[in-house]
Amino acid sequence: MIGLLLLGRTYLRNTGQKLTLAGMQQPIHQYLSRMDFFKWGCFAEAVELDKSKQLKRSSFSNRVVEITEIPNRERESIAAITGIIAVFRKRAEHILKYWMADSTVDYFVTVISEVCQNIFEHSMDSGYCAVQTYSLAGEHVLRLVIADSGIGIPRSFSAKPEIVAESNARLVEMALTTPISSKRKAGYGLCQVNAIVEKLRGSIFLRSADSSVAVLYNRKRVGPGQVFLKNGLTGFPGTQISISLFG
Amino acid sequence: MRVEIKKIAKDLKIALPDLITRPVGRKMYERVKKQLSVIHEDEVVLLDFEGIKVVDSSFIDEFLLRLIMDSRSSNPAFFIKLQSISDAIEINCESVFSSFRRLSEDRVAVITDRIIGNNSVYLGSLSKPERDIIDYLRVNKTVRVPEIAHYIGKSEPESEELAEVLLALRLIRRQKDGGNFCYASL
Repeated sequence: MIGLLLLGRTYLRNTGQKLTLAGMQQPIHQYLSRMDFFKWGCFAEAVELDKSKQLKRSSFSNRVVEITEIPNRERESIAAITGIIAVFRKRAEHILKYWMADSTVDYFVTVISEVCQNIFEHSMDSGYCAVQTYSLAGEHVLRLVIADSGIGIPRSFSAKPEIVAESNARLVEMALTTPISSKRKAGYGLCQVNAIVEKLRGSIFLRSADSSVAVLYNRKRVGPGQVFLKNGLTGFPGTQISISLFG
Repeated sequence: MRVEIKKIAKDLKIALPDLITRPVGRKMYERVKKQLSVIHEDEVVLLDFEGIKVVDSSFIDEFLLRLIMDSRSSNPAFFIKLQSISDAIEINCESVFSSFRRLSEDRVAVITDRIIGNNSVYLGSLSKPERDIIDYLRVNKTVRVPEIAHYIGKSEPESEELAEVLLALRLIRRQKDGGNFCYASL
C-alpha cells in the first residue's frame, strides 16, 4: 500500500497527473479509504466509495495507525513523528495485545522514532508511515512500514568513500548492523532498531535502490537471525523498511 | 545538583513521555548546560528521568553522550548519575554506548541510582575487575587501594590503575584520606 502510494506520488510529480484506481474490489477500496490512502491526493478513484460503505473509525482503533506523512523538513517532521507516537501510544494496548508488556510498547516507540527520523535526516525527500495488525492462519502479525522516495541508502553513503561494501545489499546490511552514518561519525538508529527487533524476535525487510536485505529473527528462538541479501532488483527510488512482529 | 528532565522538557514545551530526535536532544542539552554553569568541581549531577518512558539513540547522542564528554573535560569536571531510568532508556543507552565503543578507541559508561539489567549500577561496558570495583564501592562507599586489591585479587599498583581508569570515566570519585587518597562511590 505504501509502495503504491509512493508510486502514485512519483507519477504525479513527473507528469502532473494523478493515476486513477479503477476496478477495486469493495474490501480493498474500504481498506485503502480507512487507511487514509486517498487523503494525500496522489490517486483518483474511478468510483468514490459510498459513505455508508466506509469502515468505522475510532480514535482507539485496535488494528491500525493510519498512513501519516513524514515531511523532510526538521520541524514538521518532528511534529509528525511525535503525532504518530502519540496515536500509537493511545492505541498500543489494543494493537499490541498479543505482545503486551509495557516494555514492548516502549521498544516499538523507539523503532518508530528511529526509522522515521531517517527520512528527514538522510533521504532528502518526504515519506509515509503506517501500522497494521492482522491475523493469518492463526498467527498474529504486527507490521510497521516506513518508506520514502528519496536518494536511497547507497547514494546517501556516496560522499563517504571510506565506507566500502562489495554490493549495495551488503551496504544496506552494514547500515542495519554497524553504527555507520552518512552524515556523522556514527549512526546508532538502524542498529538500535535491529537490536530491538532481535529482542522481540521479529523480522526486518529493508529495500533501497536495487538491493534488499531481509533479517528473520522469528525463524529461530535465540541467536542471530537468518539474513537474505538480494542485488540487481528493479530500481526503487528511496528506501522502504518493513518491520514485523509475530505472536 | 539534581536535574529534573521532565520539568525541563515541560518548560521547553516538549511533548512527553518520550524524548526523541536530535533537535530535542540539542534543546535539552543547551538548557541543562545552562543549569550546570553553577556547579562546583567534582559535583555529582543527578539526571532524574522520572516520568520519561523512552529516549531514543538520537536524543542520547545529542544529550547524554555530550554531557558525559563534558563531565570529563569541562572546567569544572563533574560526575553524572542517572536516576529513575526505564527499561527502554536502559536498553537504548546500552546500545548507543556499545555502538560508540565499536567505532571509537574511547568508551563511555555512567552510574545509575539502582541495580539494572546487568545486575550492577552502571550502563556501559566495563571489564570484570572494573565492574568488581564498582560493586565493591556500592556496598562500602569509601575504600582504599589495598582494600580494592584484596577484593579483586590484583596487586596494589594494578588496582590503583584500574581505579584511575574508572575515575577518568567519571564513575567513581577520589578523595583525600590523610596523606593518601581513597576512592568513593557517587
